[in-house]
Amino acid sequence: MTTATALRYSHTLGFMANQGRGFNNPVDLAFDSHGIIYVLNRAGPEVGVRIAYKRITRCTADEQYLGEFGGGGTGDGGLWWPSSLAFDREDRLYIADEALNRISIFDREGDYLGKWGAAGSAAGQFNRPSFIVFDQDNHLLVADSLNHRVQKYSPDGAFLGQWGGYGSDPGLFNMPWGLAVDGQGNVFVSDWRNDRVQKFAADGSFIAAFGESGNGECQFNRPSGLAIDGGGNIIVADWGNERVQALDGEGRFLASYRGESRDSQWAQDYFAANPDEAAGRRSANLEPEIPARPEFDQHRGYEWERSANVEKLFWGPTSVKIGPDGQVFIVDSLRHRIQIYRPDS
Amino acid sequence: MASKELALMAHLLRRAGFGATRDELDSFVAQGYEATVEQLLHPEAAPVMEEDLLRRYHIDQNSLMLIESSQAYWLYRIINTRRPLEEKMALFWHGLFATAYGKLNHAKAVVNQTNTFRRCGLGDFRTLLLELSRDPAMIFWLDNKDNHKDAPNENYGRELLELFSMGIGNYTEDDVKACARAFTGWTIANADYMSVRASRDSIWPHGRLDWQFEYLPEDHDDSEKTFLGHTGPFNGEDVIDIICRQPATAWFVASRLYDFFVSDTPDEGSIQFLADRFAETGGDIREVMRSLFLSGFFKGESARLARVKSPTELVAGTARLAGSYQFPEWGIVNLAMDVSFMGQEILNPPTVEGWHTGREWIDTGNLVERVNSAALEMGDLARPGVQAVLQRVRARGGSLAPAEFVDACLDAIGQFDVTDATRASLVGHASADGNLEFGERGSADCSEQRVAELLQLIVATREYQLA
Repeated sequence: MTTATALRYSHTLGFMANQGRGFNNPVDLAFDSHGIIYVLNRAGPEVGVRIAYKRITRCTADEQYLGEFGGGGTGDGGLWWPSSLAFDREDRLYIADEALNRISIFDREGDYLGKWGAAGSAAGQFNRPSFIVFDQDNHLLVADSLNHRVQKYSPDGAFLGQWGGYGSDPGLFNMPWGLAVDGQGNVFVSDWRNDRVQKFAADGSFIAAFGESGNGECQFNRPSGLAIDGGGNIIVADWGNERVQALDGEGRFLASYRGESRDSQWAQDYFAANPDEAAGRRSANLEPEIPARPEFDQHRGYEWERSANVEKLFWGPTSVKIGPDGQVFIVDSLRHRIQIYRPDS
Repeated sequence: MASKELALMAHLLRRAGFGATRDELDSFVAQGYEATVEQLLHPEAAPVMEEDLLRRYHIDQNSLMLIESSQAYWLYRIINTRRPLEEKMALFWHGLFATAYGKLNHAKAVVNQTNTFRRCGLGDFRTLLLELSRDPAMIFWLDNKDNHKDAPNENYGRELLELFSMGIGNYTEDDVKACARAFTGWTIANADYMSVRASRDSIWPHGRLDWQFEYLPEDHDDSEKTFLGHTGPFNGEDVIDIICRQPATAWFVASRLYDFFVSDTPDEGSIQFLADRFAETGGDIREVMRSLFLSGFFKGESARLARVKSPTELVAGTARLAGSYQFPEWGIVNLAMDVSFMGQEILNPPTVEGWHTGREWIDTGNLVERVNSAALEMGDLARPGVQAVLQRVRARGGSLAPAEFVDACLDAIGQFDVTDATRASLVGHASADGNLEFGERGSADCSEQRVAELLQLIVATREYQLA
């Protein structure tokens, strides 16, 4: 049963901070069993003091900052190119790392519990794991992007199976990025360089593929993270088009969202403490018209340029998660924030 | 002994690009020198480099907010481009129209300027100056946002004449004043807010906001001006038209091109030849570059190794040779920092005059950096380019005498121009372990390591430091 659902912007969580309250290039988030949000900050480049900016921020949807843990490094518990995180049934937090080709495990307080995984292309090995999600059986699914496959593991790292392979035929992948599981256990994969979303049964058998290359309805430009809402709709971060698209369970277009962020509470606090900057901001046009120019197509495209200029818009959305109350959390990575939408009831 | 065609082609690719592998040199020689020059002069015929992979893995290079990330991004482009002259022209214009992150605190704005250099760098000089005058990074860098009808700021007008087009001695102070007035009202949108943010290096609340050019007619002085002997209610476009018609401008651009592409030692006759081409073609840079690459003074022996490689040329050229960073890897930022440690912090030149080039690239400190960085790349047998060199050396036969071993390595990396003294020194080193054996008598691992060590020595030679 699919329910057509429109989303309405609710509010924004976070602002940019190298350390402490705020985010730095967040790429994913997860909820523990208490509804606390864990935001994964990738925070490149990997040099000097900036390595310390990699971390996990704990907070709530109403912007209570609860602390942070983790940090950059290649040793046990270190983060280098962290890509995704997910909680298992026991509230253990799993974090994938695309540079270190491993899964690190923490408890919900941030204490390091262990790791597994190794670089390679054999069963049980990774080549840039880009996304992780637990299925209904508490098995961890891993989008193993440069091996062009999805792998399945037990929580302690025992290899249980895999599907996919390189290609564009149904069931094959070209550098998959995002993963999601619906209420029936079906697995959705954003097939990044094939510009489509694929749907599989829990055992990996192919069910359907949605989308094609482009910037129109039901078209994608390098989709990243995705989520399935309570109505079975597919909400996709259409990364290269700098937008989020909602499709129904059959892959039909429902709506497209370009972003409409307003200042978060943390941002408002910043401006209260910096009145000269706030005054300048009040007099500025924060939504300038950006004319399309031919040279944009020689670089990264018009929408990327527009997002670089207009602050409220999504810029490099990497993940979509459904919150405990059905809210839709969109990780707006290049703007260092989470834009939160809610179903328009 | 390498053919003259190969040596000439290696010279061309060092100057018009960032070097070439031996396989690439073979392909270029097969198509011929003039055809290769034409290919280089038309970068638009080669595909645009796709950036989706780079943006996916280097999240910081997606927004281009940070200076280190933006430097790494440009280096990756240079290493992987299929449009080498486009990147080389961008580096040339970046050095000439030197605009630095340090004052702007806005890396993407400087990157945007380099995109203009890619787009216009082989076009006509008038368009380039016009785009430069509208470039937000330049407007911020030389304070043209503070150049108002009732309070002119002469900074951009002065540097446009002195450092970007004509050179000192070819205009008067009154010309500077008139030039500045012509550019009043050329500013950036939201100038006050952006100035506050830049002065505080503010990244809050959500990172940098890009800058856009804005023309404010109400802030433009449209009164009559006298500029370089011409009188009228000039705007910026008119001033640029007049500048581009000046013989001094032709000479200025020609001398800078000669210095960057031909030799660290000026030659008046050759520069005049290029200046004449500039004047004859109305400032068509592509035509000037064609004449330069086809000229006798460029192709002749005296131009070979007549320039010290800039740090960017050295590092990017070595990475291309080694086959490094053909896919996004996190270490690229460290490679970009090597370039900075050697004295060329791209996107952040030291002053509006750019870098001091030639022998000033070399001092005792950064020479060690240069040698270590190149040796690290070429000594890594896991690099695909080093493996390709190894295969070429292996193909020479199972046993190579020390001199043959040295010649094989020099040939395999396209380093054809070395002095007898350098070659003798390399042979002396190679002789210490006797013949290079890949057959039954030698250990393959040991022989491969000997090749890697010799490559490290070659990139440490004086000749490898030169372009």
